[in-house]
Amino acid sequence: MKGNIIKYDRDNIDTDVIIPGQYLKVHDYAELATHAMEGLDPDFHSKVKEGDFILSGKNFGCGSSREHAPIALSQSGIKAILALSFARIFYRNSVDGAFLLPIEIYQDAYDGISEGDEIDIDISKNQIKNITKNQTYKMKPFSEIIGKIIAAGGLFKYKPDQD
Amino acid sequence: MGKTLFEKIWESHVVVEKQNEPTLIYIDRHLVHEVTSPQAFEGLRMNNRKVRRPDLTIATMDHNVPTSNRSLPILDQTSAVQIKTLKNNCKDFGIKLFDIDSPNQGIVHVIGPQLGITLPGSTIVCGDSHTSTHGAFGALALGIGTSEVEHVLASQTLWLEKPKTFEVRVEGKRSNPHAVTAKDIILSIIKNIGTAGGTGTVIEYRGEGITDLSMDQRMTICNMSIEGGARAGLIAPDDKTFDYLRDREYTPKNYESLVDSWKKTLTTDSDAIFDKTFTLDINDIAPQVSWGTNPGMTCDVDESIPSPDEFSNGDANQKRGAEKALEYMALKSGTMIEDIMIDRVFIGSCTNARLEDLIEASKIVKGKKVASNINAMVVPGSQMVKRQAEEMGLDKIFIDANFEWREAGCSMCLGMNPDILLPGERCASTSNRNFEGRQGTGGRTHLVSPVMAAAAAIYGHFVDVRKLDFN
Repeated sequence: MKGNIIKYDRDNIDTDVIIPGQYLKVHDYAELATHAMEGLDPDFHSKVKEGDFILSGKNFGCGSSREHAPIALSQSGIKAILALSFARIFYRNSVDGAFLLPIEIYQDAYDGISEGDEIDIDISKNQIKNITKNQTYKMKPFSEIIGKIIAAGGLFKYKPDQD
Repeated sequence: MGKTLFEKIWESHVVVEKQNEPTLIYIDRHLVHEVTSPQAFEGLRMNNRKVRRPDLTIATMDHNVPTSNRSLPILDQTSAVQIKTLKNNCKDFGIKLFDIDSPNQGIVHVIGPQLGITLPGSTIVCGDSHTSTHGAFGALALGIGTSEVEHVLASQTLWLEKPKTFEVRVEGKRSNPHAVTAKDIILSIIKNIGTAGGTGTVIEYRGEGITDLSMDQRMTICNMSIEGGARAGLIAPDDKTFDYLRDREYTPKNYESLVDSWKKTLTTDSDAIFDKTFTLDINDIAPQVSWGTNPGMTCDVDESIPSPDEFSNGDANQKRGAEKALEYMALKSGTMIEDIMIDRVFIGSCTNARLEDLIEASKIVKGKKVASNINAMVVPGSQMVKRQAEEMGLDKIFIDANFEWREAGCSMCLGMNPDILLPGERCASTSNRNFEGRQGTGGRTHLVSPVMAAAAAIYGHFVDVRKLDFN
């Protein structure tokens, strides 16, 4: 999975800045996407491209349980969020609806990857390749439990392994 | 080895459990509101599914209802549509709804306990992160997203990863419990453990500092567990819990026998081991005021705003976060908290809009006037709280002081209805989040207790309520 990075070099990106409260009344996903990240970066909608990734610090997606947050990002074209850590409700919302991949990274990837870098994420090897800088970083593997929900394609498609 | 309260509730709700698979957990109560449910009901319709247990599902509208005159039509058409959609969904799927004109309408986390719907030892979910509030009754209460709301509507179960356990011990006694409140305890905890300190855990709050608290105060503590990153907060039920829930409108008929069994089962064993522990001594804690843009950016009322270096302890991201927060908040390091002038006061939200919150705030307000430049409002957490407060004459105290006295709802906590901050306005707020734009684009939020908010309204700036008389 290849794409370019939009980097927010801070912790605690909350769901109120990902999709501000006044837009929780919007049910049209395409319109929701036009307001993604509006609380933090009003230029986001004009710069994001299909297939981009967001890179950020710790506790990404903290705050409100609004599933509008991963939906707005996903509808904007974002395929994965790379962050040092995630708030749990956002993390589950991302995989439950198969909206995007929440990928936990280590400090070397956070420090090494810059805005605009092209990277290639290889889930099977738990590896991130920075094509622009010719560097490689490890990513934290998904837990077996989350991996199974992702592999199934979301919460409603998941079925436990049969004995 | 003994078990924690969380483990006991979890194990008694397991439907399917396999190694390295999510656990299927049975859900006892599902609370539904207008904002996170429309897509879930739509999903049911598309797949020809019914609500599995409408009798265990309760709905109300709280997030975007107007708090002004309810006899007038709702002007915001998108809000009106969302409210009507919930009404239609509840009708179509046979769900009990406390409608906008119901005497039981209110913030979902305020009405659940008040109606006796929240019960010890139960599992409760709601498409709202502050569902953690119900943990004050010894319930495992989880905030969930809309996909999960649909899953619970369809199956009354949820696939979950088992959280870790986190013991937060609150030791000691507050010398002035009117001035130093439950809000100050939970803000102190978050300031210490950080906004991600509880990630992936269920916090159990324990110790004398917790058992001393009333139920309204315990709800304030559990409510903000999510602000410390936790999945849920729990407090073991005791006689205060059981007394609170007795004879409520929906309290079960066999309540006394339930209490007998809860007394035997709903405790953490003395030899149980938590994955993590933190202890806060509250003997000397001060009223808290947040200065930044997350609830961890908080200091004592008699302190000055820290520099980004002091705050960050050498962490580059924390430092950048503090710099950006100060810029957004238009504040400078070194400014004394008591010198910060404010424009608005909001006493409300699922954190601090219960009867006791309003009683305590009224003691500061009684016989005084809101500072001339300040717009201050009280938004009771539910219509029941509003009625009870009015029976005590609290409405008159607030109105005489020039506070606005509103109808129940989430209101300015999250700025989905007309109650919002204007860009640049600075607010002393009893809510739970000081995120950028949370209370309105460009609005600046300081999180405080109800008595601190009331005092700020009177004096026009933050004051140390330990120095004031409580009438």
